[in-house]
Amino acid sequence: MTITAREPIVAVVAGQKKKRLDWVPYLFILPHLIFFVAFAGFPFFLGLVISFFQYDYLRPEANRFVGIQNYTNLFTPGTVENSVFWNALGNTGEFVLMSVPLLIIIPLFLALLLNTNLPGKNLYRAIYFAPWVLSSAVVGLLGFWIFQSQGGLLNYFLRDLGIGTPRWLSSMPWAWFSILITTVWWTSGFNMIIILAALQNIPAALYEAASIDGATWWQRFRYVTIPQLRPVLVFIIIITIIASFNLFAQPFFMTDSGGPAQSGGGGSTEPIMLRIYNESFVRNRMGSGAAMAFVVAVIMMVVSFFNFRLFRSRE
Amino acid sequence: MLKRALVLLVCAILLVLSGVVPVIAQDVPQLPADCESVQLEYWNPFTGPDGPFMGQIVDAFNADNPNIQVTMTTQTEYYTQLSTAAASGTLPDVAIVHADQVATQVYRNILRPIDTVIEEAGIAGEDFPEAVWNAGEVNGSRYSIPLDIHPMTMFYNADLFAEAGLEGPPTTAEEFAAAAGALTSGDNNGFMITAGFPIRQIFEMLLYQYGGTSFNEDGTEATWNSEAGVQAAQWLLDAQANYSQPNLEVDAELNSFKGGTVGIIWNGIWQTTNVTGEGVFFNGIATAVPQIGPNPAVWAGSHQLTLPVQGDEDTCRDAAAGIFIRYLLDNSLTWASAGQLPANNVVRESDEFAALQPQSDIAAGSAEYVFFPPSVPGITDAYAPLDEAISALMSGNATDIQAELDNAAERANQILEQNRQTYSEAPSN
Repeated sequence: MTITAREPIVAVVAGQKKKRLDWVPYLFILPHLIFFVAFAGFPFFLGLVISFFQYDYLRPEANRFVGIQNYTNLFTPGTVENSVFWNALGNTGEFVLMSVPLLIIIPLFLALLLNTNLPGKNLYRAIYFAPWVLSSAVVGLLGFWIFQSQGGLLNYFLRDLGIGTPRWLSSMPWAWFSILITTVWWTSGFNMIIILAALQNIPAALYEAASIDGATWWQRFRYVTIPQLRPVLVFIIIITIIASFNLFAQPFFMTDSGGPAQSGGGGSTEPIMLRIYNESFVRNRMGSGAAMAFVVAVIMMVVSFFNFRLFRSRE
Repeated sequence: MLKRALVLLVCAILLVLSGVVPVIAQDVPQLPADCESVQLEYWNPFTGPDGPFMGQIVDAFNADNPNIQVTMTTQTEYYTQLSTAAASGTLPDVAIVHADQVATQVYRNILRPIDTVIEEAGIAGEDFPEAVWNAGEVNGSRYSIPLDIHPMTMFYNADLFAEAGLEGPPTTAEEFAAAAGALTSGDNNGFMITAGFPIRQIFEMLLYQYGGTSFNEDGTEATWNSEAGVQAAQWLLDAQANYSQPNLEVDAELNSFKGGTVGIIWNGIWQTTNVTGEGVFFNGIATAVPQIGPNPAVWAGSHQLTLPVQGDEDTCRDAAAGIFIRYLLDNSLTWASAGQLPANNVVRESDEFAALQPQSDIAAGSAEYVFFPPSVPGITDAYAPLDEAISALMSGNATDIQAELDNAAERANQILEQNRQTYSEAPSN
């Protein structure tokens, strides 16, 4: 419908400008375009090319085209790449499934609380947001020193209370539990601030109207707050999924690069990003690393596509 | 923390006051007459408390050699830095590389052969233990000179030893079992091992002591799934059950030892300042690891001095680099104070080193027995499956030792095969 309504306007504009290229809009996007091409577009393309080669930038004499070998290795059972790649991808998937709901619900709850007329709410906002400014290395090391079993903060108190002291970082499922708690503590503040800003943009009139109609707290939340928040929630869910997919530093510092080790190889908390990094820059097999990165990128694109579809269809 | 920093500061001041004294000073090489002033870039990964000791040697060298000025840069993420510097043609003139990384860095065109340079500098293989010297030879050419040896070391709590009525540190399997057993009571652990680093290194050491090896001689096959390997892993599991605690994470043994509840731990010599002397509230002592199996063998790493590839090779800079490397070796006693064993036999056998404790004690029981992996590119990659297997056994996630070692060897063999394909071209330098 809208397309047919717009068509005449487009035609008029095209008629007026006759063959003259209007370069002003391109100038506006040019600054971003330059950086996008230089730091995302070109590397993306180059990465795709590299994934079809045996490649090491320091050994040009040994770079050779291997076709889809790097990809078939990932999908052939029994190869070294196959087991480590899918194990790590599975771990990251598990983390995404566990962390994303927590990283939406907890910040939403905090934002709702801090959107009331709580005394000292600005202080609380600052406190909840504060961990987000820390670097991933600091958070990882803090996590390690809280959860490590011999004199770590948590076990120190648990022992005093006479409660059992699990090996938080070297046994399952506690290793995931520790990483999750650390991640939620670290990143909830960011999501909370965004949701809080969106909450403050909801017109008070909607709540007043709902109250006059006799809506309960839950009904106002369900029929006013949530629909009003939807665009922001979609945004938050997508960036949180992507951020969780990029899990790296917490297992790197907390569980000794992805432990505890499993029988037959592979760490139980080794994330896919760490595996790609090791393949590319520790083993210096950049072609194989690029192939892994592309398989992950395709998975991410599919996930994001369904995300958009899912939320758009409800509108 | 503050206390330890203070002690380090005092040590540093004392060292400066005592001056850096070269132990050997015969036929010191000279810069050719036609060379004027030479600037050298020197990179190392010494980000810990050892860095300032190296800085001292460099400062002393600069003072002694007015026509050669060395700038030292300490890098983190060391091999990534070397790689990117190689890509941009900005490699330093002299760089430290770990023994097990030499072959990989050679094949990645980062290092160049140094046979002529060391000949001019008067450095010879017979002045070093064979294993540590051989680590610097790749494809029949020499690429590195050993600076130090950092072996697996035994740390023990002498106060707990005294309480248990134990005389000195154990040196044999029987003495070790008796000591660890006597020290294990109540909340105390006689011996503590983890499921994380350096458990694979400890396993490897026992493997060699029981007569096994990690790889065959030419580094084409993993051989740790031998009878010796099973014995070594079984010893570790028994020790864990008898004296330690199950499934401990990385560094747990260091933290417990510092808490005063652990009798003995094994870790790298680089932990000396952390768990002995002023680092702990009890009398912590470092000494050589005991011999558990029938053969003496000690796991060790080694920092090696190398000359990275230069776009424009220059005889003056090469000569200056040779003089500098020779100076570092001659003055490795200062470096030994930082907690490493000098690789050079002359320095290690000197009276000055004999007076340096605990380094000379550790050296006596270790330096001749160290082993290194074969010098083939990418060999460290092949350790990853072994790391995982030992860790899985020690954390209780795997129980069948032979199956676990077999599986790890099979995966390591695949990795070694891949490396043979990847590194099939000889290095261009």
